[in-house]
Amino acid sequence: MSDWITFALPKGRIMQDSMALLGKIGITCPEMDGESRKLVFENAVDRTRFMAVRAQDVPTYVEHGCADLGVVGKDTLLEHDCDLYEPLDLRFGYCRLVVAEPKVLRDGDDPAGWSNIRVATKYPNVTERYFAAKGVQVEVIKLYGSIELAPLVGLAERIVDLVSTGGTLRENGLVEVETICEVTSRLIVNRASLKTKHRRIAAIIAGLEQVVEDAPRISA
Amino acid sequence: MSSLPHTTGAGAPIETRLPTGVKDFLPVKAAQLEYLQATLRTVFTRWGFRPVIPASLEELAVLELGLGGDLREKTFRFDDRQSGRLVAFPPDITPQVARIAATRLHDLPLPYRLCYSGRVLRHAEQRLGKEREIWQAGVELIGLESPEADAEMIAMTVEGLLAVGAKEFTIDVGQVAFLRGILDGLPLPPAVALELRTAIAAKDATGLQRLLDAHPVSDRQRAEVLALPRLFGGFDTLERAAAVVRNDVSRRALDNLHRVIDVLGVYGVDDYVTVDLGELRGFDYHTGVIFQGFLTGFGRAVCSGGRYDGLTARYGLPAPATGFAFNLFNLLFALGGDLDGRGEDSIDILLFCPAADKAPAQRLAAALRRQGYSVARDIIARDREASLDYARRMHFRTLLIMNETNDGLTRIHLADGRETSLSLQAVLDGECRL
Repeated sequence: MSDWITFALPKGRIMQDSMALLGKIGITCPEMDGESRKLVFENAVDRTRFMAVRAQDVPTYVEHGCADLGVVGKDTLLEHDCDLYEPLDLRFGYCRLVVAEPKVLRDGDDPAGWSNIRVATKYPNVTERYFAAKGVQVEVIKLYGSIELAPLVGLAERIVDLVSTGGTLRENGLVEVETICEVTSRLIVNRASLKTKHRRIAAIIAGLEQVVEDAPRISA
Repeated sequence: MSSLPHTTGAGAPIETRLPTGVKDFLPVKAAQLEYLQATLRTVFTRWGFRPVIPASLEELAVLELGLGGDLREKTFRFDDRQSGRLVAFPPDITPQVARIAATRLHDLPLPYRLCYSGRVLRHAEQRLGKEREIWQAGVELIGLESPEADAEMIAMTVEGLLAVGAKEFTIDVGQVAFLRGILDGLPLPPAVALELRTAIAAKDATGLQRLLDAHPVSDRQRAEVLALPRLFGGFDTLERAAAVVRNDVSRRALDNLHRVIDVLGVYGVDDYVTVDLGELRGFDYHTGVIFQGFLTGFGRAVCSGGRYDGLTARYGLPAPATGFAFNLFNLLFALGGDLDGRGEDSIDILLFCPAADKAPAQRLAAALRRQGYSVARDIIARDREASLDYARRMHFRTLLIMNETNDGLTRIHLADGRETSLSLQAVLDGECRL
């Protein structure tokens, strides 16, 4: 089985985008078009396998060598300090990781004066690092979803969350205060796989790099 | 990961959890680990390396002379009640061997070929795969700076992996001096230089581009840095690197790597070698050729090593040096089922004697041990079925049963249950293969 190449892809939209991109360099999986509840799909002719996993789990599968390659948002990579290669920005799935707070709080608030704040987020590590670098003490409240709710019910004054259009923030009376970083989907590679399967993997990286370079930029 | 609480008779459950990051090895795995250790040791001996057994405690101040910042932070340290000073469990054996070579062997002529095997402790994040105990088996070659010495290290790792039965693997070779030639001249503030190194380590071409766009570097430097994430693969990598890199330090490093690869060709191990010129593990510690061994399908390195010309000088003996260590736990897990049947994980014979007089059975056991078998006496008074059940569950190969009159034997081959009657005298005389 060792001449197979296995991809770990996040279920849903990113998986579709990834397969579209891989299709452009001849990596396809007809099996995926049919039954949709399977978690592993194979293309036996090309010796490629695709695993559908949760986005946050993609780096784990790749780091431990269950998958050779993966596609994952930069936000997940920043949150989980993983030992793997990250050779290519695939330039889709663009969004931003931002600090936001209720509009009423924003009026007259100066972020430079923050000293001791409470923040709700799905990204506790990124949040702690970001505020530590600014010398701001922060009490992080880890949530798994509906982060925008936290300031409305008084769980935390501020949130750190991923936004694409900002629509959800606006609807919940929140405004962006600062951008922590911009986020796109990245190709990640297991360290051992890059070395033991370097021919196939180097070809995949080079092929995708070409396709991404040629595509019009969606970001910013 | 941790053991379940168990009860003793009517008592309360006893908590027997181990700290995270360490583990016990039970007979089957322990036998495989010892097999790995012994097999690698045989390879080290074949190349002329002699063992040293460093102390398991060191004075922290002495140990720290030979530790990089990374390992310093991971060292287990505590007060020594006798001296009032801080002592430490070594997180790595190489600095200990460097200390021994510099302070205890220095009257002997160089080079020194030394090997070791032992367990070290490191503080680690509490995550899967982050062990706090690491079993190393490695070598240090002190006093040689030629490419042939670097090639010797790489060839030994290949021979070691072949000897333990690894099927598909690569020794991935890099050159720290090549990177130094590119990175040392960059006009970047320290924080940015660190970010750049992180991006190089992750082969993050996008991140590198963004960093270089924001800072004034020459076109030559820019081209050299941006090439790094893609400079991995076969030996053609050296040609691709030579086409990009213009600085003298890096070009000399490439020449050095060519000479190492030539020797690997002579030893016939070059098919197992790949190149990664963007690899900067141990950048602050290593000074030349570095390498790591990977088995297909296992995400972590099973061995790593390289040239460290600055280390022994910290203990008073300026000498070039190179070496490597296998991580035996990683090797054990990477080999997985390939190790089944390797190592003595089964004992040859359980000898069961139902008669009251045990002396004939004891004499037979002694005779068989002299013949080279491993033999355990089933000392407990029980019936034949119970003895057979015990033998099965404890992975014995053969159950030998003395008859009631102590003058005949039945052999049960546990793999298939086959029974054979044997003459006691013939077995005592070594005429039966058991």
